[in-house]
Amino acid sequence: MKVRTIAFATFGGFLRNKVIILFCSLFLCVVLLMMFPLLGFKAVTNASNIENMQGMVLNEITIVMSMVSGFGSLLAAWAAADSLAGEIKSGTILAVMARPLRRWEFLAGKYLGVLMLMVIYAFALVGVASLLAWLGGQRFQTSLWTLVAYPFVRYAIWAAIAMLLATVLHPIFVIAVVAVLATLIPMVPFVTALSRFPNWLRLAVHLILPLTDVLSEQRFLTITRAALKPFPWTSHLTALAYGLDYALVCFLLAVMVFQYRNLSRD
Amino acid sequence: MPTPAIEFADVTKVYQRRFGAARVPALSDVSFEVARGEVCAFLGPNGAGKTTSISILMGFIYADRGQTRVLGYAPGDIRAKERIGFLPENFAFYRYLNAEKLLHFHLRLSGRQRANAGSLIAELLAKVKLDSYKRLKIGKYSRGMVQRLGIAQALLGDPELLVLDEPTSGLDPAGRKEVRDLISALRAEGKTVFLSSHILSEVEQICDRVIIIDRGRLVRAGALQQMLAEGDRVEIIVDRLPADLETAVKQHGASVEREPNRVRIHVDAAQKRVLADMLTAGGCNVISLMPMKSSLEEIFLKLVGGGAE
Repeated sequence: MKVRTIAFATFGGFLRNKVIILFCSLFLCVVLLMMFPLLGFKAVTNASNIENMQGMVLNEITIVMSMVSGFGSLLAAWAAADSLAGEIKSGTILAVMARPLRRWEFLAGKYLGVLMLMVIYAFALVGVASLLAWLGGQRFQTSLWTLVAYPFVRYAIWAAIAMLLATVLHPIFVIAVVAVLATLIPMVPFVTALSRFPNWLRLAVHLILPLTDVLSEQRFLTITRAALKPFPWTSHLTALAYGLDYALVCFLLAVMVFQYRNLSRD
Repeated sequence: MPTPAIEFADVTKVYQRRFGAARVPALSDVSFEVARGEVCAFLGPNGAGKTTSISILMGFIYADRGQTRVLGYAPGDIRAKERIGFLPENFAFYRYLNAEKLLHFHLRLSGRQRANAGSLIAELLAKVKLDSYKRLKIGKYSRGMVQRLGIAQALLGDPELLVLDEPTSGLDPAGRKEVRDLISALRAEGKTVFLSSHILSEVEQICDRVIIIDRGRLVRAGALQQMLAEGDRVEIIVDRLPADLETAVKQHGASVEREPNRVRIHVDAAQKRVLADMLTAGGCNVISLMPMKSSLEEIFLKLVGGGAE
């Protein structure tokens, strides 16, 4: 009940948050801007250049979707960091925590509020992807839930990491660390493959950084070909469980750090 | 015997700067108790450690050493928090909510969702005179209105202990009087009120006990009336004072104030016996000899050395 109350209040705050509104406006602008050349490509397509044009269209859809998906990760991190740091900075946390509310309940409410925002974003992402694919004359051949679940779990991970960092860092630093992590993650396979790095480092990098490529839709769906790779449900389950487990561990670490955090404005 | 509402025993808190070795001591071995049913003022100049103490009491920060109990529980224990109403200094709210929604939010957090929540909230808003603004967004409230709303949320759930950090801050004289009346009414109901304030004249009117801290150390704690009566000057009233005796009296550091039918002589308590004997021997009729009451402000300034208050 108390966790739900905090979650809804957090979500309500997001709907009025200027940065979130700016984020969503950017999202809309990107989609609208990318629709313009997409429709242009479609208009000039004829029998002689159909294959070439279709390739360009699908390539553009992939770029848009990567951008929007990347935006989502940043949005998740920022929303989580700001929702926690903002409460502490403004002092609203004092009246809230004076209520019979445990610290973990407060943090869980905040995290759930972020997840509520991100589930809507994940649905919007799928909606935009479907719209663009339809405009490009393609359609997704996979079920809707996978297209929502994968980005959502990725966002859950970034939100949990940001929440953990926000218990000790300013939101700006949190975003910086998240950006650095997001840059490092694609390098993980290379680092772990290189024998010149010591074993402990390779193992640590592999264990500590989230393997978000495991949680990428690209593994089972290649949008440029709109073809569904054969992917058993157990693989979906394992990948999503890995992501949720990672998010849970980060969240529990955040709870642990937050338990001893000074809540006053300093 | 019931446990005290608040117990501080040798509480020490040192703030450590994040990227440096500087350590700022905020509280040093502070010990005091607040009994149940008391209205107790917590005084000190700016930076004395009042807000730090209140933060420790509410479980927002942890003491480095010492023991703190609130209503018999450790700070932050939800069993204690269920029975505490708290008004922080410079209270901040979710600006997009209105007063009614904010109180509903706090009521849900207190786990006391009741069937009559609406009427309870309306009653509270009427009590702090915000009933006509209940649908106005808090972001549009004046400082005084926000403070009134803060008091309303502190009263939510009929708390046993009220911790009020600067409750009259931002209020006009009428609002301050209402808060004083409210605190008096709470005392009559047997509630414990622990408040910090810079307005000593108000504290003098409503409090039973006073705790004064300065630079993180407890400098004085005691019953207010006793503290006020412990002035170190006395007033001697005589029916007349001849001029030669007046000169002699003034040589003992006394001040003389002549009135139509009497003369008031103010002197240090240490000189009272000498002066009384002198006046009697000089043929004056000593009508009364009373200790002079100090004001809380005088006591406070004496104790904290005329600090920043």
